[in-house]
Amino acid sequence: LIYTTTAVQRKNVGASGPEKYTEAFIKKQIEEFNLGKRHLANMMGEDPETFTQEDIDRAIAYLFPSGLFDKQARPMMKHPSEIFPEQRKIQWGEDGRPFHFLFYTGKQSYYSLMHETYEKLLTVQKYQDQLTAQDVPPQKEKRNLAGSRWLTKIELEEMLLEKLSDNDYLRFIQLLEKLMVLPCGDMEEKYIQKFTKEVPAQLQKVVIEPLKYDERGVAFSTGEGIRKTATATATVYDNGTGKITVNGIDILHYFPVLQDREQLLFPFQFLDRVGKHDMICTVSGGGRSAQAGAIRLASAKALRSFVTEKEVEFMRQAGLLTVDPRVKERKKPGQEGARRKFTWKKR
Amino acid sequence: RLMQVRWSRYNPSFLEPEVNKELYQKPLEELSEEEKEKLELKAVQPIKAAPPSVSSSVFSDPMISKFTNMMMKDGNKVLARSLMAQTLEAIKRKQLEKYHKAPEDEKEAIECNPYVIFHQALKNCQPIIGLSSITRGGKTYQVPVPLKDNRKRFLAMKWLITECRENKNRRTFMPEKLSQELLQAFNNEGPIIKKKHVLHKMAEANRAYAHFRWW
Repeated sequence: LIYTTTAVQRKNVGASGPEKYTEAFIKKQIEEFNLGKRHLANMMGEDPETFTQEDIDRAIAYLFPSGLFDKQARPMMKHPSEIFPEQRKIQWGEDGRPFHFLFYTGKQSYYSLMHETYEKLLTVQKYQDQLTAQDVPPQKEKRNLAGSRWLTKIELEEMLLEKLSDNDYLRFIQLLEKLMVLPCGDMEEKYIQKFTKEVPAQLQKVVIEPLKYDERGVAFSTGEGIRKTATATATVYDNGTGKITVNGIDILHYFPVLQDREQLLFPFQFLDRVGKHDMICTVSGGGRSAQAGAIRLASAKALRSFVTEKEVEFMRQAGLLTVDPRVKERKKPGQEGARRKFTWKKR
Repeated sequence: RLMQVRWSRYNPSFLEPEVNKELYQKPLEELSEEEKEKLELKAVQPIKAAPPSVSSSVFSDPMISKFTNMMMKDGNKVLARSLMAQTLEAIKRKQLEKYHKAPEDEKEAIECNPYVIFHQALKNCQPIIGLSSITRGGKTYQVPVPLKDNRKRFLAMKWLITECRENKNRRTFMPEKLSQELLQAFNNEGPIIKKKHVLHKMAEANRAYAHFRWW
C-alpha cells in the first residue's frame, strides 16, 4: 500500500483535478488491504473475522514502534477510501461530449444542487398556495433547531467534490434557510437532513461533584481555575460570614485594586450568596488580574455543588464557568512585537 | 455581506455572555416565544468567558467601563479607574452644593445621581449625522452620512476626552475638568455641544452631496 497523507488533511483534494488513481487500482488496493488485515490478525493470533480498525492500529503500533512526534508521520494501515481521497471521475465520454448538462458552468454539482433545492422550494410554495386556496391553514411544526447545524463549507465541498467560493456557500445556506422557514412538513425534511449535522450535546459532559463534609460537619467543595499562566484552587465552606483568604492573606491586603475584589465576589453576587460562604484559596503564577480571574473561575466551579442545575446553567450563560483561552500572543520574527511592526522607513 | 473577523482565541461558534442578573430571574411564563427559542438555542451553544472588567454588581456599568478604557493610557487601568471615580465624586459634590444652595421649589429639579448625569451628558453629545470623505473624479467631497449607534457613542466619548486633555487646561486636573465638561454637556452648553452643532451645520451645508452615498 502506498501511504499518503492526503486522507488526514482537511483540504478538498477531490476537486483539484481528474482522478490520479483509476478505479481498478483502488479496487486492487482494497483487496490488498483486506488480505493484509487477515494476515495481520493471524499474526497477532486474533480472529480474522472480527478484527476492527482499532485492533489494526494497535497491532501496527506494536509491530512498528516509531518515536516520531507527528502522529501522521508514523506507519499506518487504513482502508484505502481514507487514504486515497474521493475524486471526480472523468466527466466526458469518448466523443468528448460531457455527461452533465451543466458541465460548462464549471461547478456542475453545485449548480445542479441549487437547481434542485430551488425546485423543492417552488413545489413547497405551490403546496402552500393550494392549502390556502382550500382555506386550510398551513401547519407549523416546530423543528428542534438547537440540536443541528448546517454543513460547513469544507464539508459541502467534500460532498460535491468541487471547490466553492464563500459567496456560493452563503447563497446555498440562504436557500436552505428559506426552505426551512416555510411550513414544509415531512416532504423536504429528508432532503434538508442531508445538509444538517447533529451538534453533539457537549455541554452535558460536566459532572457536578457532590458536597463534602469536613470534621466540624460544615459542607465544603473545591474548584480549580486557570487564567493566563495563573492557577488557583478554591475551597468554599458553607455557613460562613463572607471572609475570603488568599494564600493565607486577607483579600483586602492581597488585592488592593477594587476591580480584582469585584471579580472575586462576582460569582457570589450573581447567586445572591455574598455573606453566606467562606472561601480559602491558593493561587500562583500570572499577574494581578490573571490571579483574580483564576480565583473567580475556581470559586464558580466550587459553587456548582451548592446550587441547583438551573442556576448552574445561568452561571454558564453569564460566562462564569468557561476557561478564558486568551493568552499572550507570541512575538513574530520581522516584527517588533506580536502585532507591532518595525518603523517603516521609506529608504 | 461577508464580514471578515480578526481571529480570536475562541471558536466562532461561541456566544457573548449575558451578565445581567435580572434577565435570569424572570419566571418562565413571562418570556415571549422568541425569548424561549433563544434560550433553547443558547442552552446548546458554548459561551465565552466574562471579561474581567464586567461584573453583575450594581456598580458596573458598560458605558462607564468603555469610557474608562478610552481614558486609559499604556494599559494603566488602575489610574484610569481612580480618575473615573474621582470624576464621579466631583460631579456628586458639585451637584450637592447646588442642591443645598437652591430654594425649595428647585430642589427636585437638580439631578444628583452622577451616573444619570453621565449618561444624559453622553446622549446630549452624540452627533446624529456625520461626514465621510468620498473621492469622485479626483476631488474629495465631505458627504453627510447617518452614523451607527456605536460610532455616535464613540465620537461623544472621544470628544469629551480630547477636550479634557487639551493643553489649554494643563493647570486643572482631569477629574475636575471632566466633571465640569459633563455638567456642561448635561445642560446642553459647553465646547463639546458646540462641536456637535458645528458638525451638524457642516452636514447641512454639504447636503447637496448626499446623493454620493451608496450605502
